Amino acid sequence: MTATNTPKQPTKHRAASQWAVAWRRFRKNRAGVFGLIIVLGVVFIGVFGDLLAPYPAFPDPKALQPFYNGDVRSPPSSQYLLGTDAIGTDVLSDLLHGTKYALYVGVVVTVITMAIAILVGSVAGYFGSWTDNILMRITEVFLVFPSLLFILIFVRVFTLGAGVGTTVGIFGIGLPIGLSIVIFVLAIFNWPGSARMIRGEFLRVRELEFVEAEKALGASNRRIIFRHILPNILSSIIVVASLTIAYAILLEAGVSFLGFGDVNTMTWGQVLQNNFSDMRVVWWAELFPGLAILITVFGFNLLGDGLSDALNPRLRD
Amino acid sequence: MLTKLRALAQSSMFRYVIRRLLYMIPVVIGISIIAFITMYAAGNPINLIKAGKPNIDQATIDSLKIYYGLDQPIPIQYISWLTNIIQLDFGKSLYGGGPVNGIIFPKIWPTIELQVVSLLIAFAISIPIAVYSAKKPYSKQDITVTSFSLFGVSMPTFWFGLVLIIVFSFTLGWLPSAGSKGAAGFLWWGNSAFDAIAHLILPVTVLVYVSLAQNIRLIRANMLEVLRSDYILAARASGISERKVVYRYALRNAITPAVTFLGISLGTMIAGAPMTEYVFSWPGLGRQYVASTLGLDFPTIMGITMIITVMTLIANLVMDILYVYIDPRVRIR
Repeated sequence: MTATNTPKQPTKHRAASQWAVAWRRFRKNRAGVFGLIIVLGVVFIGVFGDLLAPYPAFPDPKALQPFYNGDVRSPPSSQYLLGTDAIGTDVLSDLLHGTKYALYVGVVVTVITMAIAILVGSVAGYFGSWTDNILMRITEVFLVFPSLLFILIFVRVFTLGAGVGTTVGIFGIGLPIGLSIVIFVLAIFNWPGSARMIRGEFLRVRELEFVEAEKALGASNRRIIFRHILPNILSSIIVVASLTIAYAILLEAGVSFLGFGDVNTMTWGQVLQNNFSDMRVVWWAELFPGLAILITVFGFNLLGDGLSDALNPRLRD
Repeated sequence: MLTKLRALAQSSMFRYVIRRLLYMIPVVIGISIIAFITMYAAGNPINLIKAGKPNIDQATIDSLKIYYGLDQPIPIQYISWLTNIIQLDFGKSLYGGGPVNGIIFPKIWPTIELQVVSLLIAFAISIPIAVYSAKKPYSKQDITVTSFSLFGVSMPTFWFGLVLIIVFSFTLGWLPSAGSKGAAGFLWWGNSAFDAIAHLILPVTVLVYVSLAQNIRLIRANMLEVLRSDYILAARASGISERKVVYRYALRNAITPAVTFLGISLGTMIAGAPMTEYVFSWPGLGRQYVASTLGLDFPTIMGITMIITVMTLIANLVMDILYVYIDPRVRIR
């Protein structure tokens, strides 16, 4: 018998990182996890949608196969699961192809919006005084702006010169020009709300001791902003970004629905626009694209709310 | 009478309103400049006419330029446009050359009617629902209400309208989907008052649901915070009925941020008018804006933009005045 009093291996007690804690909290939030699952599903369809779709995307003549078969405006059936629309394309294929556009809009608008918002918000919140005053006045003007009106006219004017339906290749991916213009315009009018939020966070954090300490050590402003304050407010930025994706997808659908989109890029809003005048007959071509938008946006909103609960627990009980 | 007027002029509220009205001037001018520049970024409207009619002769073009005042330098064009607008003359439409006033003015009232009715209903319902939801946070009733409102903010406004039309107009045939003000020449139940109400029901439902969803989320969040505060605990401890605590003590503090939001949401509702009005063929400013923008009728576009801007600013002012009456802590200076 050997006495087993070898000292126990000291179990490594690494402090769980902030993100691990947040993930553990997020996992318990059923609504948030549900949102995450929806978002992952949408991303999956966005990536593989072109392979799953029974018919190719619209400008391709093969997309009009149902039209050549004489199946324009045919209701949902086993052959066309979600029916065919007024111009004779398969609605299911349109939705599958459109998923990548929705994600493209959501992500790119959010990236640009956040870039502008972080720049404006951090400068205004960190330096304060007159810089803050001027930037916040500009932001307020943008907020009282009837932004949808300006979005519509900007999109209309900018797309006048651009070739409709042409794509520009970046990294081997063809990006539709018309849709990119819409994205650009949406981002320009979308940043003020987020900038205000980031400024508020900066005002809160810049008074904390560790910033004081950094300053005393002689760190440059840029270092304090980007290395010390921004990582501290990253959680709030992630939450707002997730909600911005949802909002951008909604807004793009609206702009396309009103007839300002690119007719050769079948986004979900464009499908709604194409079938609006024939709605009495092809109600399925109005119902399902809207459902696709609703589910996607709902997913991102749930995810955003879940993240907000997990990352900023002080907002909750 | 005269002393009353003098007292009014000296009252702080009166001075506050005047100051706010003066603040509006730079905002309106700023937006007018941006609107004007945007139109000119698109190019001279005459070039668009030329592109549409390649055979047009130079004499016609020159006379068109003079008719629309496009022969003047751009700053002068801007100033004369602005001075005309101040006198409520919005210029001449590029379509047919008639006055823009004739296009815009009949459309103002339908838009106001739709927005105000929806906003009042939305605000009236959202308070009791939000309170009901906040009283027992994370209970079954609360989760029902919050998911209902999350659904509302996730839905494309116009699509909700489309679904309502499909269900209530096409399938059930209960309500008209379009053609407000007898524009389609038919009267619902043969009575014009019923007809007006019938046309309002679907668009108002859409607008109410959307702004209801936003309001509930906001008031509920405020309410949760207020209900945790010490003075509520004190009120409960002194045995005041729960009903009185919630509705008399807590609500008043929870509702003030919502009033600010009401102003903003009225703004977004007015500016978001294109969507709802387009879906329901509502004869308002929003639908006209969509049509004019697609047709590049610049004078009409600029006119509607200015009217909607002013409407939004006035709505915000009204909200701020309301705010002073609701929240006694707000002191106007």
